[in-house]
Parts: sequence; structure tokens; C-alpha cells
Amino acid sequence: MKGINLEKLNDEGVESLPSKERRQFLQFGLSISGVFLGGSLLSLTSAHEAQGALNSGKVPVAEFPYSPHYTMVIRQSHCIDCERCLEACRNTNNVPAHGYRTNILERSIPIAQGQRERAFMPILCNHCNHPPCVRVCPTQATYKDKTNGIVQMNPDKCIGCKTCMAACPYNARYFKEEARTIDKCNFCYDTKLKESGGKITACAAACPAGVRIFGDLTDPESEAYKLIHAPGNVLWVLRPETDTLPNVFYLDT
Amino acid sequence: MTFYQKTNTLPSTSMNRLLIFMALALISGIGLSFGLHSMLVGHDHTFGTTREVPWGILISPYVFFACLSTGLCIVSSLGQVFGISTFRPLVPRTVFLALITMATGLMCITLELENPWRVGFYALLSPHQSSNIWWKTTIYSLYLIFMVLNFMSLTLKKEQRAKVFATIAFVAVTMGNLNMNSDMELLGARGFWSENYMPLYFLSLSTLTGCAAILLFSWIGKTFSGQRPETKDEMALKATGKLFMVLLLGILYFTGVKIMGGFFPQFTKNPEAMFLLVQGDFALNFWIGEVGLAVLLPLTLIFVTGGEKSNILALAGISCLTGVFVLFYDLVIVGQLIPHYQQYNIVDLPKYYSYSPSLHEIMITTGAIFFFLAAFILGEMLFKKIYDS
Repeated sequence: MKGINLEKLNDEGVESLPSKERRQFLQFGLSISGVFLGGSLLSLTSAHEAQGALNSGKVPVAEFPYSPHYTMVIRQSHCIDCERCLEACRNTNNVPAHGYRTNILERSIPIAQGQRERAFMPILCNHCNHPPCVRVCPTQATYKDKTNGIVQMNPDKCIGCKTCMAACPYNARYFKEEARTIDKCNFCYDTKLKESGGKITACAAACPAGVRIFGDLTDPESEAYKLIHAPGNVLWVLRPETDTLPNVFYLDT
Repeated sequence: MTFYQKTNTLPSTSMNRLLIFMALALISGIGLSFGLHSMLVGHDHTFGTTREVPWGILISPYVFFACLSTGLCIVSSLGQVFGISTFRPLVPRTVFLALITMATGLMCITLELENPWRVGFYALLSPHQSSNIWWKTTIYSLYLIFMVLNFMSLTLKKEQRAKVFATIAFVAVTMGNLNMNSDMELLGARGFWSENYMPLYFLSLSTLTGCAAILLFSWIGKTFSGQRPETKDEMALKATGKLFMVLLLGILYFTGVKIMGGFFPQFTKNPEAMFLLVQGDFALNFWIGEVGLAVLLPLTLIFVTGGEKSNILALAGISCLTGVFVLFYDLVIVGQLIPHYQQYNIVDLPKYYSYSPSLHEIMITTGAIFFFLAAFILGEMLFKKIYDS
């Protein structure tokens, strides 16, 4: 088979290209790269920043601490799953049977070879300092209260896209069909908290075992403050990998 | 009494098209009426979504049609904005397709909302600039307006004005596409679309579906009219076919990355979801839809036939579009099925949440697809001269 002898071929060079063709080619390349560069610059929340909201907290939605800065400490080992907190929450906040603002999960924790320990873990909205739900809401129907840091809902503004439900790492939201809005724990802001002068929530008041300790992170006299700052107490938060900076703390002792 | 008249002239081509349009519009109407019913009684009673899996199948046609519109806009821009003469014959039909696909996408997301009537008020009165959804909806709405203006200018033969609108629409839809990805990526709390390659994957997929739609609907348009395609049209379709093939190879690479993630957890940020997709309950969707229909079958058809025959290119197009629809369904649903508290040894917590679309959701999706098809046929009836000019 006879191959092409490249060495004997003349170099055509780019000089032989018509200048119009060259200009068009350059123009095309520059336009494409320019527009796409513009697209990535103009994208107001680039992929990097979007990830930052969860992983490195680069997009805070508000300044903190608040005053008062409401918090809850949950003494997991005290919980006996009597569910009085759930009942109190339902009755106080008019929660329908198909939903819940707070729940108790049963854990089976491995402690040694072939041995497991049962524990009950109450869950509720963590009123995060970097709440993904607030970040994604297109109409500010859910927002971080600038006074006390509670993640609140304005039901009138909710369009029902349920993105906040998808974004919440704690499964703390549900759609309340009766009111056509997302419903969630607001530390009983408009019910028990108001009645008690900002001292206690319905679930904390109903708990017979002192599991749920509600308080103010900026008040040294608050029991929650003392538990959080007591030397030797090891506290943990749910799903720390999402970097939401929760305001609900768990204590095993 | 005469009940019918025997005639040799009916049905004419235009009559055929009218009947097809009416049939498509009827099916679309039936499907979309399920959406209105859901809106009235509430999604809790009609949708398969739950507290744990709040986004259902209706997000998929939204993402699919929005990405398809993006791709169509990008390909039409090659001829209209960047001045590549080979692609110019495709511009009018492609612009119209881009317009109706975005309208279909926005209709899907409207029917997916529980309170869509509040969007008009609060998107304007209480906008949230940190929300990707707000930006995306706003950008896509503006894009739709500019595409309408673009198409109107094309029908009025105002080429320069059309180019300006096309340029703005092109920039807008690119931004929208990036926001679409960021919107989903933000939901990393649930192991959603947070892979590094996603922005490029989204743009490539969008352009791929745009090419596939052009190959398919140009062929249908020509077949319906019974005309032989002109040389310039054939050249344009061949060029689109080549672009389609290159993009298929690109998507094949991304599919390979997904497969790696499904088999080797170290290659993904989302191992549980990728396992579910590649080896778990969604494996059939993945291997038949995402790998077979979306990539391998179109590539095989093009390689075997040399990408010369327009009917084979159209077949490759419909196969790819079907596969990509499955891909978007998987992308929306699979990430949500990973339980929130899986690392806490919760008693009776399922390994994966479950979701199945309800009859209402399926009917709305069907209605949306038929709405698009009806609009396409309407375009073929009304704008044939503009397409051919």
C-alpha cells in the first residue's frame, strides 16, 4: 500500500486562508467563550457558592447571635418515649394528624460486640444559623427572625414549591394542606412561648423527664446556657456535615 | 337525508394536520385537567409525594423541557447569534420549538406548585435574591418573553432586531441553566446533584437534547408537508447530526463517571444514591434509559448509517430524548430516597424512602408532553412559510 509521504508535501500554511474565513473563525471562538464566561460570572449563585451554603457557611442569611438567642438542649438519655411532648405540640399548635412538628426516633446503638443500647432521640426544627430552607425559599415565606433567630413561616407567602422540605436535612417540615402552607416548629412563638413570656415551649413544659431544656444562649442564668457551658458536658448536633450550625444541642448524660 | 358525502379529495394534508392537532390538544386537555383537579383538592390527596420525598415526577418534565429549550436556544444561536450560515435554515423552527418547550416546562412547574397563584404576587413583592429558584423562574420568564419577541421579529423579517433578542435570550438561558444546577446542588443536605461535573453535564445534556429535538421535529415537519428537503436544509441537519454525535460522546464520558460512582464509592460524593441508581432499584432505568436509549442506541444508529439519513437521525433523536427524560426522572427522585437520619441507627428506618408517581402526576406529565406536541403541530400549520423562508 502506498502511503502519503508527508515530507514531500508543501506546507499550505494559514496564509492561504481567506482573511474573512479567519476572522469568522476567531469571532466564533471568542463569542462562544465570551458568552459562556459571562454566563458563569453572571450566575448569581455559582455552583461553588451554592455548595458553600452547606459545607463552609459562606452565604450566611443573617448575623448572629440574636437577643434572645433561643436554643434547646435535649438530654437524650432521659427520654422514655412517653410522647407527651408530641401531644402537647399537636394540641398547642393545631398540628393535624397527618403531620408533625416534632417527633421521637428510636435508636439501636451498637455499644459492643453483639450488644446494642436503645435510646430515644427527639427531633424538631434545629433553627439553624445557616438554614438551607431559608436560603432556597423564593418568596421569603420562610425566614430567620432577626430578633430571636427562630426560623419562622409567613403562610401567606408560601407558594407550595416544597423546596424547603427538600432542602431541610432534618425532615422538620411538612405541608399543612388545611392551611395550604408549609408548617414547622417555631418554638411555639405565637402560642406557648408568647404566653410564658419567652420562657418555655409546649413540648418542654410537657416533658416529665426533663429531656427538652429550652433557653436563651445569651442568658447565663438560663438552664440551657448552663448545660451547654458546663465543663465535662459533651454536646453534639445532628448531621454536622451539612454545616447548618443548629441551635438544638444533644447531651447524652 | 344525506349523512355523508363520498369524496376523493378528503382528507387533505392540512385536514390531516388539523385532526392530529385536535387529537393532541384533546389528550393534553384531559391530562392537564388532572392538574386543575389537584390544585383544587390539594396535592396530598392526588400526588404520590410525601414529607420525605416532596418532589415528584412533575419536576422531571420541568427540568427536561427547560433544558431542552436551553439546547434549542444554543443551537439556534449558532445560526442566529454566531452567524454560522450552515445552521441558519434551522433557526425559525428551532426558535419556535425553544419557545414552546419553555412554555411547557413553566406550565409543568406551575402545576407542581400547591399555590401557584401566589407566585405572581410574592415573586415581585417579596423576592429572595439568595434563592436560585427565584432567579431561575425570573430568568426563564424573561427568556420566554425575549424568545417570543425573537420569533415575532423573524416572522416580520426584522433580522437585526431578532438577533438582538436572540443574543439576550441566549445569555439568559445560559444563566438559567447554571441556576438550575445550583438550585438542585444546594439541596446537598439530601445528597442531591453535588458532583463537580454537574454544570458542564447540564449544559452538554441541554445542547444534546436540543440537537435531538431538531433532528426529530425537522424530519416530522418535512414528512408531514410531503416536501423533499432542500439541499441547505439537509446540510443543516447533517451539521446538527455531527454536533449531536460529538455531544453523545461527551455524555458517554459523563455516563462512565456515573457508572464509576455506582460501583466505587470513592469516585462520588453521593455513594448511596449512585449505588441505588446503578445497581439498585433504579438500575433498569439507568442501564436501559440513561445508557441504552440516551447514548448507546443513538450512537450506534449514527455510526452504522454514517449519520446521512434524516429518518435514522430522527430515530436517534427520539431515542435520545426518551432516555434523557428517564435520566432527569432518576436525577430528581434518586437523591431524595436517601433517608435523613440513616447514620443514627434508627429502628425501622427503611434503607431507602420510596416514591411512585400517582395517576394524577402521570396524567399531568402526559398532558404537558401532548401540549408540546400540539403546539408543535400548530406551529407547522401556522408558520410553515416562515420555516421554509
